[in-house]
Amino acid sequence: MSDFLRDYLNVVWFAAIALVLASLLLGISAIIRPNKPSAEKNIAYESGVNPVGDGWSQSQVRYYIFALLFVVFDVEAVFIFPWATRLETYGTFGLVEMGIFVFVLLLGLVYAWRKGVLRWV
Amino acid sequence: MIQEQQWLLSLGTFLPLAGVLVMLFIPKKDEAMAKGVALLTAVATLGVGIYTLVKFDYGQSQKLQFFTTNKWISPIKATYTIGLDGISLPLYILSMVITVLVMVYSWNHVPNPGNAKAFFILMLVLQVGMAGTFVAQDLILFFVFFELVLLPMYFMIGVWGGENRQYASLKFFLYTMFGSALMLVAFIAMFIVTKNHATNPDAANFSFQWFHANAPGIARNTAIWIFGGMFVGFAVKVPMFPFHTWLPDAHTQAPTQGSVILAAILLKLGTYGFVRIALPFLPQAAKTWAPIIAVLAVIGIIYGALGCLAQTDMKRLIAFSSVAHMGFVMLGISTLTPLGINAALFGMVAHGLITGMLFFVAGSVKERYHTLEIKRLSGMLKQVPHLGWILGFCAMASLGLPGLAGFWGEFPALLASWSPATILTDSAMGNHELLYRVLTVISAFGTVLAAGYLLWLYQRTAFGEPSEEFAAHGHDDHGHSDIHDVNVFEWIAWTPLLIGIVVLGVVPSLMFKVMDPAVQQLTSVFGK
Amino acid sequence: MIAFSAPIVDYHALAPELVLAAGICLVLLVDLFVPAHRRWITGTISGLVLLGALLPVVTLAVLGGDVRDVLSGDGISGRYVVDNFALVLKALFLLSGYVVVLLSTNEIEDGGYYQGEYYVLLLSSVLGMVMMASSRDLVSVFVALEFLSIPAYMMAAWKKRDRKSNEAGVKYYLLGVFASAVMLYGMSLLYGIAGSTKLSVIGEKITLSGPRTGIEVIAVVFVIVGFSFKVSAVPFHTWAPDTYEGAPTPVTAFLSVASKAAGFVGLMIMVYLAFPLARDVYRPFLWVLAALTMTVGNLVALKQKNLVRMLAYSSVSQGGFILMALAMAFTNGSEESSLRAIIVYLIIYAATNLGAFAVVIAVARRTKSAEISSYGGLFNYAPGLTVMMTLFLASLAGIPPLGGWYAKFGAFRAAVDAGGGWGYTIAIVGAANAVVATAYYITVMREMWMKPVPEGADTSAVKVPASLVAALTITGLATLAFGVVPGIIAKVGSLTDLTGAFHG
Repeated sequence: MSDFLRDYLNVVWFAAIALVLASLLLGISAIIRPNKPSAEKNIAYESGVNPVGDGWSQSQVRYYIFALLFVVFDVEAVFIFPWATRLETYGTFGLVEMGIFVFVLLLGLVYAWRKGVLRWV
Repeated sequence: MIQEQQWLLSLGTFLPLAGVLVMLFIPKKDEAMAKGVALLTAVATLGVGIYTLVKFDYGQSQKLQFFTTNKWISPIKATYTIGLDGISLPLYILSMVITVLVMVYSWNHVPNPGNAKAFFILMLVLQVGMAGTFVAQDLILFFVFFELVLLPMYFMIGVWGGENRQYASLKFFLYTMFGSALMLVAFIAMFIVTKNHATNPDAANFSFQWFHANAPGIARNTAIWIFGGMFVGFAVKVPMFPFHTWLPDAHTQAPTQGSVILAAILLKLGTYGFVRIALPFLPQAAKTWAPIIAVLAVIGIIYGALGCLAQTDMKRLIAFSSVAHMGFVMLGISTLTPLGINAALFGMVAHGLITGMLFFVAGSVKERYHTLEIKRLSGMLKQVPHLGWILGFCAMASLGLPGLAGFWGEFPALLASWSPATILTDSAMGNHELLYRVLTVISAFGTVLAAGYLLWLYQRTAFGEPSEEFAAHGHDDHGHSDIHDVNVFEWIAWTPLLIGIVVLGVVPSLMFKVMDPAVQQLTSVFGK
Repeated sequence: MIAFSAPIVDYHALAPELVLAAGICLVLLVDLFVPAHRRWITGTISGLVLLGALLPVVTLAVLGGDVRDVLSGDGISGRYVVDNFALVLKALFLLSGYVVVLLSTNEIEDGGYYQGEYYVLLLSSVLGMVMMASSRDLVSVFVALEFLSIPAYMMAAWKKRDRKSNEAGVKYYLLGVFASAVMLYGMSLLYGIAGSTKLSVIGEKITLSGPRTGIEVIAVVFVIVGFSFKVSAVPFHTWAPDTYEGAPTPVTAFLSVASKAAGFVGLMIMVYLAFPLARDVYRPFLWVLAALTMTVGNLVALKQKNLVRMLAYSSVSQGGFILMALAMAFTNGSEESSLRAIIVYLIIYAATNLGAFAVVIAVARRTKSAEISSYGGLFNYAPGLTVMMTLFLASLAGIPPLGGWYAKFGAFRAAVDAGGGWGYTIAIVGAANAVVATAYYITVMREMWMKPVPEGADTSAVKVPASLVAALTITGLATLAFGVVPGIIAKVGSLTDLTGAFHG
């Protein structure tokens, strides 16, 4: 076999291992788990009580936007904390950088506000 | 190289574009204006051409004249190099003449679906491409001009052509495209190979001079491959058997003007490519390819002639006769002798005049009778005597009657192929003399066939009484007089061609004298 | 504790990015505070921002002949630079973006879509591309790639109520992030091997010798696969036709030109900087991709009935020609002609394809359709658009004297220059494909020039809005100029322009 093909053999091995691993994980669990289907089990789970309506019911889009806004500010906080502990090291440069970062997030807030996301009713 | 009046060729080549620019601003409805500007431009271009003729130094026709070279695409070493010598001069002028005449003819003959503005613009663009191909002295420039004619001709056939025009135009386009793709690869390969083997690779460029100096040094096996790529590109354009199948369709479906331009000039781009590029740059490969070209050429001669005999349509017959005539041209080229190549060049011009004229006549017949079916036509001499006589004259010229132009293309080609160049007869690779002699005999038989089909055509269409179908009319379905004799525009368009056929037939030396020094120089690469 | 020293920023070199970033904020704010009927102003501002960002590119090209490190300091020098390579491509992206803005103006306004957001996303995507041109580091390459991709996912689904557009967005998004994941995995391996994210350092370490050869091969292949999705190389092209057809036409133009070009730029940077010694891995891989891409793209394009879909497949096959040149880099010293060929190809292709899409948009305003059959007899009632379209299609087919011929010429030359079995074979495959390609371009020409107008079509003269006229003028002139005097762009892309490129 030429060197060139042997080089590519790595890729093949790699793909094969990935494939084997995935099928092993799924396969073993399929073999060892008990399988006793019943009508009850196919019903959508809704906190233990009998479900009301269709499983595909739509949620208010507001929830998503709310969640997104939360994530935005959450991420902001996550970034600001470690930066704050080393503020002196980063000096003016770091301050300016963080200013830009906060400004961009602020822009997002303004956007959300103008689009009426912050009005709940 | 004679570098006087460097602007002259550029002016002659690009002047039609100025006309195109002006025409773009003429409203579509103002047809007379559009036609006028176009014709004026073409005449002005021809004027530049005639001035070129006057200024051309016939004593040094082997040298490139009005030579100029400029930077163009420096990173790939393509240059804007143009010049004119005895080989390209006749074709350069012919392209200008044909454009003017075709425009005159089109004055009241714009084919369906009309739109004179677009039609005339296409003719002007075609003229740029044709003239440019003949003056280009750089491979890339040559390629660009060579391809420039493709689209206008495609549209001319596809929009203004006959019933089956879309099929024909597509076939024309794809065949040519296929050829030129391989040709381009061959050009690039030739450049890179010469560059890699040159002592001064930095000086490498795409100008013809560079290849003249360096390409003959390419190793023979490589050269044969490169020649093969060019061969396909040029052979499709000529067209040579077995690449010819687009031609009958394209010719039959094209409007008269398209057929004339196609026959008179476009086919010559291929043969010109052989003479100008393939042979002198790669003589080592030409030696191998020449016998193959000769055999294919002779197959073309016989096949074209037999094809003619089988045709029922006058225009298709003329188209097949083109295959046969271009076979003679290629046979001349394949001998690699000065005589053969002179004959080929003469044949190119003669075929341009004669077949162009035949297509004009066919167009006029179609316009009058609304058919080109040979068996429905007869008695043209009685009904439209002038047209009948002109058809007869052209048929005679086409079959190679001595005293008319066609003869000087065919006869010397036969002579030359009887004794081809010495490198073909005493090379270590095999003696081809016998092959060429056999081919000469076969192609001589081809001339007999040519006489056969042309006279037969003439007899069936011109002699006898006008067929009943048309005899009564002077009127067509719409009730106005339809079958009339040659009109003024036709006379103006045709007379120069008819005169040309006679003059070149009687005094062939007019052209031979111009071409010969250039041809001698060209064939010197093949040794004595 | 690692000492920190602030990097020194070359603001002049960073100016294009800064202008764009400021522009993005500006457009967003303007959109929020102007009344709905004046929202069109966001389009105008976006156009101006793009031209404004072009200004520093020009001054940089004129004033600074040499390479500029945008960020310099401890350990970060040479990772984000402005060299001639970057400048040319930045100009290309900004101009393409500008033409896309011109194409979008009427389409987005008339369609009643969100205008401000559209332009914000468009500008963000362009910013990502502009960054890509300067990136010489794994991190910045990846960030730039995501920056240019994510807005594009949303733009593809911009026709909110059109199912096809939703399909376009979702397909593009799913395959896009999948490709990113694969590439990121490859990049992490590269970092693991080289111990640095700087591409030129990686280039020295990926030598395909030593104990980690296996990992190196996997890394190189994964990175190429990731980019192959981006440039829609067969067999990673499956998203392209659906996305191109479903997305709003200006977005399609943007994706098939700018986004694709950015993908190629990324691939080019990787090959030239990070993989020069891994030729034995990427050459056969790219070679096969190139041959497949050209051939499959062409064959499928032949069957298309919808012009946008046809252009999508044609753009797939055009990508094959670029891959052809790239595959032959570093073979018998052809790296320079390959680099040139690719950059020139990208530029010419951008002008031509944007022009073709401009015509499609102009015609669709009348016919409301992109079916090829709806172009029947266009010549009769829109001769100007017909002629323009003919020019663009002829250029795509590579017929002189239109730009496309020079692009193809360069690609062939790169392949022939490399020579050998690899080079000549791919050149022949390319030549055959160039011919096949003309067949479908010519179908459209035939439809426009030779077929009758479809029954019941409105054949009054077509009014073309001013912004489209401007776009057509720019692209048309560029297509013609690149074909007649290719010298104006032929000089770009010399090997020395690409900082950190491997020599010898």
